[in-house]
Amino acid sequence: MTAPGPDPDPVPGAPRHRTHPITPLVTGWKVVVGIIAVLTAQNIAQLANEFTIRRALIGLGILLVVVLVAIVLSALSWWFTTYAVDEDGVSVHSGMISRSREYAPRARIESVSIERPLLARLLGLAKVRVEVAGGGESYLDIEYVSSARAEELRLGILEVAAGTSAASSSAVPVEGAPADGTGAEARAALAGGPTAGSSAAADHQDSGDAAREHGGRLEEVLYDGVTDGELIARIPTERLVRSLVRDLGFLTGIVMSVVGVVVAVLLALWQEGFSIAILVALAPTAIAVPKYVFGRIDSGWGFVSRFSERGLRMRRGLANTRTDNIAAGRIQRFDLRRPFLWRGPGWTAVSATVAGIDDDDENGATSVLPVGTREELRQTLGRLSAPLGTDDDLATLEHLLTARARDLPGLRTPVRWYWIALRTEVSILLPGALVHRSGLVSRKLSIVPRERIQELRLEDDPLARRLGVLDLHVEGAGDSLLLENLRRDDALAVHAVLAADARTLRRYRDRESWPRPALAPVGTAAPTPGSDPASAPGNAPEQERPAASVPGPRPDGQETR
Amino acid sequence: MTSSAPDARPPLPTATPHDAPPTEVSDAPGARLGEQGLQPVSPKLVPARYLAGIPGYVIGVLLTIGAIVAAVLTGWWWLGLTAIVPLALVVQGLALTPRRVRAIGYREGEEDLTVALGIMFRSVHTIPYGRVQSVKIDEGPVDRRYGLAKLTLSTAHDGAGVTLPGLPKDEAERLRALLTARGVELMAAL
Repeated sequence: MTAPGPDPDPVPGAPRHRTHPITPLVTGWKVVVGIIAVLTAQNIAQLANEFTIRRALIGLGILLVVVLVAIVLSALSWWFTTYAVDEDGVSVHSGMISRSREYAPRARIESVSIERPLLARLLGLAKVRVEVAGGGESYLDIEYVSSARAEELRLGILEVAAGTSAASSSAVPVEGAPADGTGAEARAALAGGPTAGSSAAADHQDSGDAAREHGGRLEEVLYDGVTDGELIARIPTERLVRSLVRDLGFLTGIVMSVVGVVVAVLLALWQEGFSIAILVALAPTAIAVPKYVFGRIDSGWGFVSRFSERGLRMRRGLANTRTDNIAAGRIQRFDLRRPFLWRGPGWTAVSATVAGIDDDDENGATSVLPVGTREELRQTLGRLSAPLGTDDDLATLEHLLTARARDLPGLRTPVRWYWIALRTEVSILLPGALVHRSGLVSRKLSIVPRERIQELRLEDDPLARRLGVLDLHVEGAGDSLLLENLRRDDALAVHAVLAADARTLRRYRDRESWPRPALAPVGTAAPTPGSDPASAPGNAPEQERPAASVPGPRPDGQETR
Repeated sequence: MTSSAPDARPPLPTATPHDAPPTEVSDAPGARLGEQGLQPVSPKLVPARYLAGIPGYVIGVLLTIGAIVAAVLTGWWWLGLTAIVPLALVVQGLALTPRRVRAIGYREGEEDLTVALGIMFRSVHTIPYGRVQSVKIDEGPVDRRYGLAKLTLSTAHDGAGVTLPGLPKDEAERLRALLTARGVELMAAL
């Protein structure tokens, strides 16, 4: 999975730990449910028809055996799973018969997130996921450890990744005797012990509310320890619910599927009367819709993001909670989304692409702002991304999101037949980024910073030749942005500009002048936006940006691919 | 701030930027996209592709013959029509391979590599040296017979990478060395 690192075993002074002893229950449970689901989903009609007490007892007996076997197997796999954090990275050893050793080298650790699925959360456990640069399933899971331990691990791993592990022994405290600090405090706070008050207060002195010990502790529990650093965004439940109600795509999807289910049931009843087979056939939809709805709620519930020198920390979730960490300067692309009815309150959803983090699940780490106000948008983008290079980035984005696509100056297809694309798709080259606006009802902006372009591809075909257009694929680390059917000379001109960006920006040797996020990490005032004239977008952004005012991403923690 | 504020206007895009670098990909009418200045790959790739294609041609011809024989034996003339598809595949393979090979080209720029492939569906890749993550050289049995090699480049982008077939073996080695050396010199972060 990861790059073959040095064999972590002979490293002295890196004690290997086991995960929490209740882990087999949590993981074994899944196996049992899986088996039951597979067995019953296929035969439920038959089972219901041939129900007798005896068969039920036999079934229960078999189930019990399965549960026991699953737990024993899980316990064995738990016994053979160990993890360790040392100066070189994180390693996880697992497997009883075929042993596997996974290793995340220090320099390639992209982020650390803590996930708490519902059952694990009830038991006070958490899963630590270490994201490593690389495509596909490039992560290392430590599941499950106690919540407080997870917090310690997160801090320890981030410290290792930052390369500040001079005092690695204190950075990664041994489980039995946690060093005093956030870990111990978090543990005490989670346990609700009265001793937590003083340390929580000490932690909160910098934010100036030492008097509100109690409130601080409550916050600590509510937000899973995401209480330090500067507040970037906090989404009240009311706004989340209103945002879902106002999301037309979401609503129509639900209404359509509910109507579909009802119509299907009625049709079936009318055709051949009631039978269990109908219910079985509809079960996937009947489960998927509530799951999707709940997933949407879950992914924004209690969302809070804070910025510290480690990057943006986010917490979210109602049943399954997770905290993620995204370092500034690692974002490859942003996607802004504004559904039709969010235009009134000016809300925006932001998701970010980071190399190595998959966005396959609904509530993944890629959503950095589920529904944010303008100010939250400004803060989030300002912290995470290099400026777009306009006089007022927020106003520019707002304009790009609110104006009709036809009114925006930019590149669009010249072909009259593509009349939907002509009215909805437009690409704008700003000094700092390439922005692609799409969507008719729900408007979308895809922002690719110009220094993040990996390669470019022009595509030509007979139809395009006849119409006088070209497709330009702008490929970043991750997925690509397609500028479709541009005029040929436009496409070539943009290609030339972007090719120059791709080869000159973000070189290691000009590391000092890399574009940096506009808003300073903590405390310091934001530097004034670049005073470059808007008419010179061909300039390399590094000449325009104040680079000195911001302590940038740590140089030795950078990925070296 | 309101969206109608005059300062909210984004700058004009660089459709015709006055200080943009000159267009590097040529698009002359009548010529292929990006054809100018490209270095062709070895002409030996034509026989190599024919040789590699022999199994396909044989199967195509057999299918054609089979369809015709079936049509004659059964007397259903329309069975003969099914011969068209394999026949067309074989014929276009034989006829277009030389043009396809001539359409492949590459150019070593100062700081990036351009690779162009295809006649009708043509794609032109531009890969900066500093963004290359890995370089791979493949030699199949047929390629080896003709002293050819296939170079595959990949960047951090999700995808198969760019493949440049039909390089003479030492040219492929030279390119690999160049890409590695320039890649280290011009290394760009993600």
